[in-house]
Amino acid sequence: MQWVRRSCVALALATLSAPWSAPLHAEEIVVSAAASLTDAVREIAKAYESKTRHKVTLNFGSSAALARQVEEGAPADIFFSADLKTMGDLEKKGRLEPGSRRNLLSNRLVLVIPADSALEINAPKDLLRAEVKRIALAEPASVPVGVYSKSYLEREGLWEKLKEKIVPVLDVRATLASVESANVEAGFVYKTDAAISGKVKVAYEVPIEKGPKITYPIAVVKDSRKKAAARDFVNFVMTPASKDTFKKYGFVVLG
Amino acid sequence: MFSSFETWQITFFTLAVGLASTLAILPFGIALSWLFARKEWPFKSIVETLVLLPLVMPPVATGLILLKLFSRRSPLGHWLYERGVEIVFNWKGVLIAMAVMSFPLLVRSVRISLSEVDARLEQIAATLGASNAKIFFTVTLPLAWKGVVAGSLLAFSRALGEFGATILVAGNIPGKTQTLSLAIFNSVQLGKDDEAYTLLLITVGLAFAAVWAAERLARSSNETPATP
Amino acid sequence: MILKCRMPLADFVLDVDASFDARVTCIFGPSGSGKTSMLDAVAGLRSISSGEIVINGRVLFSSAGKVNLSPQERSIGYVPQEAALFPHLSVKKNILFGARRNHAAALSGIGLEHVAGLLEISHLLERPVQRLSGGESQRVALARALLSHPQLLLLDEPLASLDIGLKERIMPYLRRVRDEFGIPMIYVTHNPTEVLSLADWVVMIREGRLVTQGVPREVLMSGRVLSQSERDLLENVFDAVLIDSDAEGGRSRVRLESGQELFIPYVPGPVNRAMQIGVSGDDILVATKAPEGISAGNILRGVVSKIEMAGGQSILRVEAGVSFYVRLTSSAVERLGLRSGADVFLIIKTRSCVAL
Repeated sequence: MQWVRRSCVALALATLSAPWSAPLHAEEIVVSAAASLTDAVREIAKAYESKTRHKVTLNFGSSAALARQVEEGAPADIFFSADLKTMGDLEKKGRLEPGSRRNLLSNRLVLVIPADSALEINAPKDLLRAEVKRIALAEPASVPVGVYSKSYLEREGLWEKLKEKIVPVLDVRATLASVESANVEAGFVYKTDAAISGKVKVAYEVPIEKGPKITYPIAVVKDSRKKAAARDFVNFVMTPASKDTFKKYGFVVLG
Repeated sequence: MFSSFETWQITFFTLAVGLASTLAILPFGIALSWLFARKEWPFKSIVETLVLLPLVMPPVATGLILLKLFSRRSPLGHWLYERGVEIVFNWKGVLIAMAVMSFPLLVRSVRISLSEVDARLEQIAATLGASNAKIFFTVTLPLAWKGVVAGSLLAFSRALGEFGATILVAGNIPGKTQTLSLAIFNSVQLGKDDEAYTLLLITVGLAFAAVWAAERLARSSNETPATP
Repeated sequence: MILKCRMPLADFVLDVDASFDARVTCIFGPSGSGKTSMLDAVAGLRSISSGEIVINGRVLFSSAGKVNLSPQERSIGYVPQEAALFPHLSVKKNILFGARRNHAAALSGIGLEHVAGLLEISHLLERPVQRLSGGESQRVALARALLSHPQLLLLDEPLASLDIGLKERIMPYLRRVRDEFGIPMIYVTHNPTEVLSLADWVVMIREGRLVTQGVPREVLMSGRVLSQSERDLLENVFDAVLIDSDAEGGRSRVRLESGQELFIPYVPGPVNRAMQIGVSGDDILVATKAPEGISAGNILRGVVSKIEMAGGQSILRVEAGVSFYVRLTSSAVERLGLRSGADVFLIIKTRSCVAL
């Protein structure tokens, strides 16, 4: 358990280590990050901990739930969202440290089909074909990836025509699962999500210029009591090494 | 894949907080069940409904209410914070979410078993000079013990499986507030199915054992009570 | 003692005002007449709208004086109809449940061994209560009540759930308790024979109202106070002492209070042992001439003092040293030309006399 482990570490430090190995000013910061960022953020947090001896506590969930926690005053120091709107709402409510927000990452929308599917899709209008009976996407009203998928199809002038084929599901994972099981012929997910399933393949990658502007913003929470450490972590996330980590997991790094 | 240390840490943490939550609600659950089963008082049915509400409300909604109640922005949360007690984003939040969500199951079971205790026996005990406390602890509770144990087991298994309220109040912090259910959610979100299956197997094993034991007790409740 | 209470029950309002001074008082009436509710009121288990309950000068309840002692404070031993033993405790733990009024214990001299011996349950002490017969359960409940050192014993139809054979066997224990401990008792029953057998005073109620009260023999055997079903339960009950016993002949001889002697089936025991004899009114033959060559052991000469006819059945009261009640069909009464003042012979088989 965390407190057990921590007190063991503290005990070890106190009894065994020389004083220079103890952190001069060690702090624990809490980072609330969208679930889709889990692996990348974990890796970066580990690197940060070994470099600075600050302690990074990670809290994962949907962007909407995390924003809700921040809004109610849960003790998070950093909010790393998977979409601009939730971040924007928090900013409007004055829950973010002014000037701390960075639009850090982007992602690409891709169309996935079952790994063994013979379907050939070279353009979005191919979805109109009769072999494509159903298309899964995350709830287009609230879940960011669903919202993005819908606005992309609308811009392509296909939303109304495809409406009958659209199956709204819970989230990205549910989209992937329904494609994996071939219950639907195709589905829209993020490129980073497509990479985690071996049972789907990317049929069509939405070009960056045509696709929706998907943004992962990060910001320091206004109520944070460890703003200096929090800012320090945000800076660390912006370093080239961290950016390489994000790229490794399929994210597009902005600026 | 999780390391086996992490798997054991999560399992142990879930069991420990689940147990603590069950033990914490036990006295309140028994007291309230007794008031429901044996006493008439104003607004009783309203209180009964309120207690049972988490059973039918979406757990996320319960979680939101708890988050509002205990976060630093609320009067209660602020008061606690000033005294160095933080509920949100630590194990106490997990405990409270588990407690609130499993409380109705405990109360339902205990209430039924208490009302099945013949009130005549309590009356006779009173004529024999036993104080109300003595009656409760030497007559009522021993005769209702099966319902109490079965209710505790049910509450415990509900606590182990708690997700919606926990993730809002306590967050999903690996090594700190992550329970089996939250870890399964994370693994599924990240497509780490192997991990999810391992954790799922543990959860199912624990829940199965608890529910099975509770059911067995409930079924034998009409038989001769054991002498404590 | 004052028993004055008024309280609403499901079907009627119980409103009884009785006062008496007796060792054993029976509250007598048919099922559903409010008897158990009255006992519960005396024990403090049921609230009374108004009234007064005074036992041996102690005020347990008084609406006027605003006194309402809790059941714990009333010092009452309650033996309910269904015994209500604690099912999770052994016999011994049941009996000792209320045994902690130590001061009272020292004064009264009621101890576990004494009571268990008297009620013949010493061999049952370590048993779980599930393995007791109905009669044993009642005796254990009685012992439990006694060991709480009550100032009043309440018994709610302790014999009602037992079969006839057992009833005959528990009656002696109840009388032993009455005679040994001197604790006043209130005993609820619907059976007139139990009243005759045990009570010094009877309070008769029906649908929540006091019908009459008085000495049992006078109340139950005068006027038409008994219902048909109560008459059917009525038996002649007499106090008696054992004169001699003949094991080989299979019979014993007892003397009634009046000096009248009766043969009864063989009972062992010391001469001059006090006992009670019961004879059912159905088991007595009436003859207008002295019978001869008859097997019955008891032939008594008497005078008919009263004839009560109800439907096809008649109850004769015959004075033969003591009063006997005899049930006959009305046609038999007609055939023999029986009327008040007639000389008759009562013929009673030895085996129809039961030692209670």
